[in-house]
Amino acid sequence: MKDLLRLKTSLNEEIENILNAQIKVEAHSSSIYLAMSSWCDDQGYDFSAGFFAKQSEEERKHMMKLFNYVNDRGGKAISPEIVNIPADFESFRSVFEQMLEQEMYVTQQFNHIAEKCIKLKDFVTFQFIQWFLEEQIEEEYVARRILEMFDVIGEEGIGRWEIDKHIPKVSYEG
Amino acid sequence: MVCPLANFEELYRTDHGAVYQCSRQNCYWLEFAGDTTAFKVGDFLSFKKKIDAIDVSAMIINPSRTADFTIVMPFRTPRCFVLYINDVLNLRELLNGAKFMIELNSVVNECLKRTPHSLV
Ligand SMILES: [Fe+2]
Ligand SMILES: [Fe+2]
Repeated sequence: MKDLLRLKTSLNEEIENILNAQIKVEAHSSSIYLAMSSWCDDQGYDFSAGFFAKQSEEERKHMMKLFNYVNDRGGKAISPEIVNIPADFESFRSVFEQMLEQEMYVTQQFNHIAEKCIKLKDFVTFQFIQWFLEEQIEEEYVARRILEMFDVIGEEGIGRWEIDKHIPKVSYEG
Repeated sequence: MVCPLANFEELYRTDHGAVYQCSRQNCYWLEFAGDTTAFKVGDFLSFKKKIDAIDVSAMIINPSRTADFTIVMPFRTPRCFVLYINDVLNLRELLNGAKFMIELNSVVNECLKRTPHSLV
C-alpha cells in the first residue's frame, strides 16, 4: 500500500513533538531575557540591559531555526504560547544566576533530543542539532564567566557599576 | 459519499466505523456515524489529536446537559461531529487502530524498499 505518511512528512511524530517542545523552550528563553533586559535597564545597568536584549534576539533566532526545520521536514511547527515571565528579580547577581540555570536547562533538553534521535535512528535531526549543542558551550561559558566577575570584582562600592561595564566584553574564544 | 474513481484500501474497521486509504487522492476516508468524510494526511492526524484531547472525565463529572456531548467541526470538511461520551470512545478506538495501521504500513514500506546491502 502507498505510504501516504512518509509522502507527507519525514519526521517521526515523537521527534516532531520534542522539537516543538524545544521551540517553546527557546521562545521562553527569549522572553525571560527580554524581561531581564528591562529590569537591568530600570535598575541602571545599561550594558547588561543591552546584553540581555541581544541574548533575547539570539534565542528568537534559535527558535526560528528549529521552527523552520520542523516545517522543512514536512512536520508542523507550532507557534508557542509563553506564560509566566517574571517582571522583577531579586538582585543584579541573581539575574545572571538565573541565566546560567536557564542555559544549563537548555543544554539538558538538547541532550535529551540527541538521545531520542539516536534511539529512533533519526540521524538527520541528530546532525541538525549538533549546531545547538555546540552553541550551548558558549552560552554556559559566558553566564559562568559573568558570575565569576561578581566574586572577582566584588559588589561593594562601585563594584556593580564596574561589573556592568565589563559585561559586553565577556566572550568565548572557543 | 465516496469518490467513484477512488482507489480504496481498508486500513481499520471496528463495529462502529472504518478508515480507508485512497491512494489516488492521497487521503483517508473516515466512515463513522452514518457518513463518510475525507481527510488529507495532516488533517487526519490533527483530527485524531483533537479527539484524543477531549476531556472525557470532565464530561462525565459535569452535570449540565450540554456537557453530555461535544461538538467537533474539523477544518476543510463539511462534517460536524456531535459526540456523546461513548461516541468519543468509539471514535478513539477507530482512529487509534487506523493510525497504527498507517504507521505499520510506513515500516513495511521502508523494509521493502531497503536495498540488500543495508540488511547485512
Ligand atoms: Fe538557545
Ligand atoms: Fe541560550
